Amino acid sequence: MKRTLLSMVLVIMMLSVLLTSCGQAPDTTKPDSSVSASSTDASTNEANAASATPADTQKPVKITYFNTSAEVNTMFENMFKKYHELFPNVTIELIPTAVGEGQQEKLQSLFAAGNGPTFMNVDPANVIQYQDKLFEMTMENAPWLAQASDGAVEGGTFGGKILGAPWSVQGYGLLYNKRVVDKVYGGAFDPATINTRDSLKAFLEKIEASGVPATMLHGANWSMGGHYLTLTYAVQGPKTTDGTGFIDKLKAGTAKIEDSPIFQGYMDTMDLLVEHNYNKADPLVGDFNKDVQAFGEGKAATFFMGDWTWTSMTTLKNVDQDYGFIPVPWSNNPADYGNTQIVMVLPKFQSIDKSQNTPEQTKAALDALGWMMTDPAGQQFFIDAGFFMPYKNVRTDVKYNSMTTAVADYAKNGKTINLGCFSYISGDAWTQTGNLMLKYISKAATRQELAQGIDDYWKTVK
Amino acid sequence: MKAKTKALNNAGLFVIFMGPALITFACVLLIPFLYGVFLTFTNYDPIKGTKDFIGFANFAAIFADKEFLGQFLKTLSYVFYSTVFCNLLAFLLAYLLTTNIKAQNFLRGGFFTPNLIGGIILGYIWKFIFANVVTQLGNSLEFKPLMTSFLTHPDRAILAMIIVTVWQYAGYLMMIYIAGFVGISRDVLEAAEIDGATGMNKLLHITIPSMVPSFIICLFITISRGFMAYDLNLALTNGAPYGATRLASMHIYQKAFQANQYATGQAEAIVLFIAVAIAAVSQVLLTKKLEVEA
Repeated sequence: MKRTLLSMVLVIMMLSVLLTSCGQAPDTTKPDSSVSASSTDASTNEANAASATPADTQKPVKITYFNTSAEVNTMFENMFKKYHELFPNVTIELIPTAVGEGQQEKLQSLFAAGNGPTFMNVDPANVIQYQDKLFEMTMENAPWLAQASDGAVEGGTFGGKILGAPWSVQGYGLLYNKRVVDKVYGGAFDPATINTRDSLKAFLEKIEASGVPATMLHGANWSMGGHYLTLTYAVQGPKTTDGTGFIDKLKAGTAKIEDSPIFQGYMDTMDLLVEHNYNKADPLVGDFNKDVQAFGEGKAATFFMGDWTWTSMTTLKNVDQDYGFIPVPWSNNPADYGNTQIVMVLPKFQSIDKSQNTPEQTKAALDALGWMMTDPAGQQFFIDAGFFMPYKNVRTDVKYNSMTTAVADYAKNGKTINLGCFSYISGDAWTQTGNLMLKYISKAATRQELAQGIDDYWKTVK
Repeated sequence: MKAKTKALNNAGLFVIFMGPALITFACVLLIPFLYGVFLTFTNYDPIKGTKDFIGFANFAAIFADKEFLGQFLKTLSYVFYSTVFCNLLAFLLAYLLTTNIKAQNFLRGGFFTPNLIGGIILGYIWKFIFANVVTQLGNSLEFKPLMTSFLTHPDRAILAMIIVTVWQYAGYLMMIYIAGFVGISRDVLEAAEIDGATGMNKLLHITIPSMVPSFIICLFITISRGFMAYDLNLALTNGAPYGATRLASMHIYQKAFQANQYATGQAEAIVLFIAVAIAAVSQVLLTKKLEVEA
């Protein structure tokens, strides 16, 4: 009996230890459960803030920042360190994500757990998804938005509300290697001479005749679906609503994509590109680093890609430095929209949460955002990282890399395709219709099957 | 009176010893599972915050989703082939490595190693092998089938997945089979030998029947893991080419988190669960009948 009692006591003790530790766990993590996800630098900063400014009368604010541009986590980290030095009351904690990590899922779980970040750098599709939770910026509460380039604020406006502040511009089209092309042309080649499909055809054939594969297609669904196929929606008209209107018709089944001359035109151009593809033997390899390397070494003269290629290019040795952009013409009429333009897109937006953060936190985030976007000290971080910011007060003496410069030149001349409808196309569309495009370029599907598949896809989207 | 105290005592002991395990089990498995089942009858969307009862609409949506059915069939064939080849190879290896050949322990360790590498890393390693090493080999040998990557053709990409799965699990299953081989009583084998049974007969009539428990475990492992394969699928092919190698788990994930159709994805997960349960349980019941008492 005594022994039973003893063992009972022991069991109860063990149980109570177990239960109390279970009970305590959430308590210790709850006040700032994002700590675990944040960098150690940020948390030491926070400790400094607490000890360094005890006499300060203003209440210290701690806010969090969710970043989906994984390649520049360090840039944001340094930026926030600097901001904390200037404004010791505000501590910004970075919630970094990794390339290839489930970023959307991470954001969802943060919001689902009631720990939504105070402000964040996200895709336009996220802004639409979370629009009920986001803080509306106006010219009154965010006067710095007046510095934004023309059209940039409209890009971040959803349902009439400014929910996202633009911060970088990217462009894509047919990148060309200047050294290779100039050699074939025996002098400086003028990309403006390519404004019809026939002129593109002549160009590709001329390059091919010199022994260099004329172009390269990246066999991944985001490139073929997200970028190439999206052109057929965007080029429906210069306004965002032209593109989204067309998509709405596809969803309702009142229009068929195969009836659009623009779709047919772009696919004719695609046939041309497929014929001259560097990856022709095995078009679906889709190894980005390999493709960038080959393009940088001049093994292919052109590459359907955007200026973000530069980030990968800088990590390589013995590659060319001078590149330009050629438009991707879809018809033989040089005046058609899309034939002389390249795509310009605002790929990410800065948004502020109002649903799970206090008004003080929201205000602090708004101030920090203004500093990041329009204060010279804040902008310098973006410039150093090679970003082209859509704000009028950005230093003009900055020398960008050749790809970004080429995009900026097209933008200056107003020769850009508005890819606004891109914001309304979810990642699922890239995957699904992109896969159909991959079937098409590897000749596993006919154009009729491709068109049918695209029509079918849109009908399933609510 | 005494019996009553005893029953109370028993109940108390039960609560003390089983309670923590039961509570944990309920919290992390049972309740989430039942809640998950409940969600399949709603139009759950965590971002919009909707959770209205919509009956069987999600299940109707699954059967309208031709892609899911196609991928489900593909998963079945993947499970079938990987189960068959995994077990054949593992059995063969175990057989060879219990015949006292040289370097037996070293070889056992070597074959087991792939299982210690996580599926994601393994996928990336083999992706590199299929995309770069094999194609390089094909080019230098000028052997056409190897010149293009295995991962860019729908059927060959599935084959690549089966190869890697077999490579990964064969060593693990081999260990279980080795234990089975070692566990067969020498007396029975000797008796068979005295009765005149030789190599093949001994294997078919003595060894295999007495190893049925090993088969049950191994088949259960390969079938259930095959159905739920995700990490290897993600790292090796990620559905490439054009979604042809997207197995059921990956489809469900994409449905829920990329197409944002959470409830439909959840319903598909339940369907997958039922399929795995039926396949695994019926396999165990069928093979259990073959078990013999040694």
